[in-house]
Amino acid sequence: MHEPELWITKIFNDYLAGAGNAALQLVGMKPEARPWANYVVVELLVALFIVVLFAILRQRLCWDKPGKLQHTFEVVYEFLRGQSEEQVGHNGPHHIAFFGTLFIFILFMNLVGIIPAFESPTMTPAVPLGCAVATFLYYNIMGVKTNGLGKYLAHFAGPMPLLAPLMIPIEFISHLARPLSLTVRLYANMFAGEQVTMVFLGLTYFLVPVVFMGLHMFVSLLQAYIFMLLAMMYVAGAVAHEH
Amino acid sequence: MTKKMFLLVALVLLASTMAFAQTPGAAANPAGQWVPISAGFGMAIASGLCGLAQAKAVASSAEGMARNPGAAGAIRFALLLGLVLIESLALYTLVIIILGTGGRPWIP
Repeated sequence: MHEPELWITKIFNDYLAGAGNAALQLVGMKPEARPWANYVVVELLVALFIVVLFAILRQRLCWDKPGKLQHTFEVVYEFLRGQSEEQVGHNGPHHIAFFGTLFIFILFMNLVGIIPAFESPTMTPAVPLGCAVATFLYYNIMGVKTNGLGKYLAHFAGPMPLLAPLMIPIEFISHLARPLSLTVRLYANMFAGEQVTMVFLGLTYFLVPVVFMGLHMFVSLLQAYIFMLLAMMYVAGAVAHEH
Repeated sequence: MTKKMFLLVALVLLASTMAFAQTPGAAANPAGQWVPISAGFGMAIASGLCGLAQAKAVASSAEGMARNPGAAGAIRFALLLGLVLIESLALYTLVIIILGTGGRPWIP
């Protein structure tokens, strides 16, 4: 199922094929004729857009006369801080950098697919897998950093040492299932949303697909929030101190 | 009475010829013709059960919010989390269908 190229991917492949092949060879893959995939290009564009947006915000931060952009991002920041304090506890805001990045990046990647000439990078399984693996590594590393390696591994054994032979395989499999479920949830929601819109576009050419695009926008927001919320819950479980 | 029975038997015999009809590509892949049917049934069962579970979640959360409007925020949070996790179970079935049929389940 080879997706046709977007117009930006065509530009990247025509002029920057050398850079793409150099990146492929860095990880040991063979060079190809048109190395840039749709989702890589749109991901880079979204990341660039977010960097530019925050650079502009930084310039316009003002203590006594805040503008509209500052107000908007203050609301977003308060939301992130409230959620991380509620989920992770007192030390929650320490991790806002990761949770906020996850939320804003996934939200913008989901929403960019609604603009006509672009495609959501989260519609391919690779991108949600990347976010899920990053979350998996983050919460494990934070757990080891907070509790120490021995104590972190010891809490896989469950509440009583007698139950350890039963609990360790169960905990192991459930921890491995976490990145899988994060990936599949985000990928399937975005893919199904686009497919449903396409099917209704083929069936009724007018107004009805707009309803599904509206539903897709709501689902995009909800799925970005849920990804961040589950990441917070996993970090909360990992850094919990047993008093 | 005999004429009716005769007509009925003739109709049943005519209808049974459809059991011998196969899709043209079946000679190449005799098991592949069942994939769209099983994909449809599998997805329908998953969506149906997901609908039942989400209905139960919404019903009890609406009742909780009606009994205790002060806790509406916490109940709404639990409701959304529960709905998304139940939804993702139905979506796992969709992903298996997509992976098993190369992205287009209506083509055997």
